[in-house]
Amino acid sequence: MNIIVGFKIVPDDQMIKVVGDKLVTDAPLKVSTYDKNAIEEAIRLKEKFGGKVIGITVGNNDRKSIREALAMGIDEVIAVSVKNPDVYITAMAIAENVKSLNPDILIFSEMSTDSGTSALPAYVAELLGLPYISNVRSLKVEGNKVTADRGMVSYVETVEATLPLVISVGGEINTPRIPSVRQIMESAKKPVKEVKFEAQAKIAIKEIKPLIVNRKKIIIEENDVNKAVDKLIEYLKADGVI
Amino acid sequence: MKTVVFSENPVFLRMASAVAQSLGGEVIGISNNADVKVVNKLYVIDKLDEDGIVDLIASLSPDVIITGNVRRDRAIAGRIAGRLKLPIVTDVISFKLEGKKIVADRVAYSGMGVVTVEGELPIVITIANTQLQPKELQPSVEKVQLKEGRVKVVSRKSTSSGSNLSTAQIVVGVGRGIGSKENVKYAEELANALGGVVGGSRPVAAELNWVPEDRQIGLSGLRIRPKLYIALGISGQPQHIAGIRDSKIIVAVNTDKNAPILENADYLVVADAVAFCKAMLNKLGKQ
Ligand SMILES: Cc1cc2nc3c(=O)[nH]c(=O)nc-3n(C[C@H](O)[C@H](O)[C@H](O)COP(=O)(O)OP(=O)(O)OC[C@H]3O[C@@H](n4cnc5c(N)ncnc54)[C@H](O)[C@@H]3O)c2cc1C
Repeated sequence: MNIIVGFKIVPDDQMIKVVGDKLVTDAPLKVSTYDKNAIEEAIRLKEKFGGKVIGITVGNNDRKSIREALAMGIDEVIAVSVKNPDVYITAMAIAENVKSLNPDILIFSEMSTDSGTSALPAYVAELLGLPYISNVRSLKVEGNKVTADRGMVSYVETVEATLPLVISVGGEINTPRIPSVRQIMESAKKPVKEVKFEAQAKIAIKEIKPLIVNRKKIIIEENDVNKAVDKLIEYLKADGVI
Repeated sequence: MKTVVFSENPVFLRMASAVAQSLGGEVIGISNNADVKVVNKLYVIDKLDEDGIVDLIASLSPDVIITGNVRRDRAIAGRIAGRLKLPIVTDVISFKLEGKKIVADRVAYSGMGVVTVEGELPIVITIANTQLQPKELQPSVEKVQLKEGRVKVVSRKSTSSGSNLSTAQIVVGVGRGIGSKENVKYAEELANALGGVVGGSRPVAAELNWVPEDRQIGLSGLRIRPKLYIALGISGQPQHIAGIRDSKIIVAVNTDKNAPILENADYLVVADAVAFCKAMLNKLGKQ
């Protein structure tokens, strides 16, 4: 089975800070949270059906994060560098680079933690002319037939389709493995193909601001929880909310 | 100007239509509900087939495509953009038209930031919210039978639990820190005593099913605006905060006084979530 998995290298969302009126986004880099679920699902398919998992990442090509993805079990990575990536460019770069690999399945996550558009997997599916199943929370492949449960928040939908196709997954689908030290060592030997992609972006970023709501941040700490609750109730009454 | 609006969700369809009307020109709606009276022309589709909907919208060659923000809306928006190779801006909270260009504010960095972006028409937009109200219109209606798509729906199971978090005045949110499904009953008792409803973080709602899935609060679930939100054992990751920002008062209960939720809380009670519920119930009962 030819499996493609897309992953994005993003600033760690837990390290992004609001400082004054600025959002400081130059935090340490990592593989975006649910992209690890996409990688895990790709590796599970390979373990079951054989074949190859090729990872593709567009934009930030941080070596350490790429190695982390390889250590999880990806066979090789295509790292595409682009200027001013938007959804359009990223999708075009992926489509251009994977078309000739004849993928049976392309797996992405439902949303990255930085731009978080949810649009990329759908965009890629259209560029490749493939069916798309979003928000997959469980996946079954038998021969050419795919059965998937989609988590749509207010309902769960079970769908059927045939390979080749594109899917996106969220955190519910699996628990990403943590690579062993040996796998991390071995990942250094796996191939990383660096390519460039150029196109005119369709979206320009003008400004990034933090979304600030000022909170009181009062800590109520008492040895006796009853005392803490008394204090809280007083505060909430003064605020007029109970 | 020709604007096409679509949402699986009636509330979002109204919001998208209000925004579309504000652009001027023709507003074309696509819905499986014949009772949409906020557009100039309505295509009533026989099923929510994504292939069919994408084909239909693409065939209309719109200048602007506006969808809501639920998961199906986003899947369709991304596909239309890809089909027509258009720019796409999602999670839009406000935007204006400047000639042939749209300048939009969107939520990014998991809800921590607002990014102003620019893109030329034709363009695809998903709307997070708007204060605009649509005008009532008498649309011309056309029924459309969509072709059978490549993805076949075998079954659909509602996760609806019947309470409306979006309009609740008091919400008690449970996170992994509540410890177990059994312990959620204390949160429910507390919510009942306060006249509120229970919701949960994504892991608790979507993975562990400690609360019904349609009660997931956050970036990828519901965005709520109660006067009081009590977060029981929720760490306060940005994706959760994105759903509770508009709350008037936020109380967090956490055993860890350094939990990131402090940054976004009015009060952090350092306590075990269950012990807190019991003490609170006790006090409220005595009043
Ligand atoms: C793209 C994307 C979208 C997401 N969308 C959402 C979303 O919409 N909504 C959402 O909620 N999450 C979302 N998440 C997940 C989010 O990042 C967090 O993983 C999640 O919110 C954490 O849930 P939690 O706080 O319940 O659990 P944890 O992070 O495990 O936190 C548990 C907390 O409980 C505390 N605790 C432990 N024991 C006790 C006790 N006895 N009493 C009191 N406190 C205790 C701990 O100190 C900790 O702070 C999303 C993630 C991604 C990547």
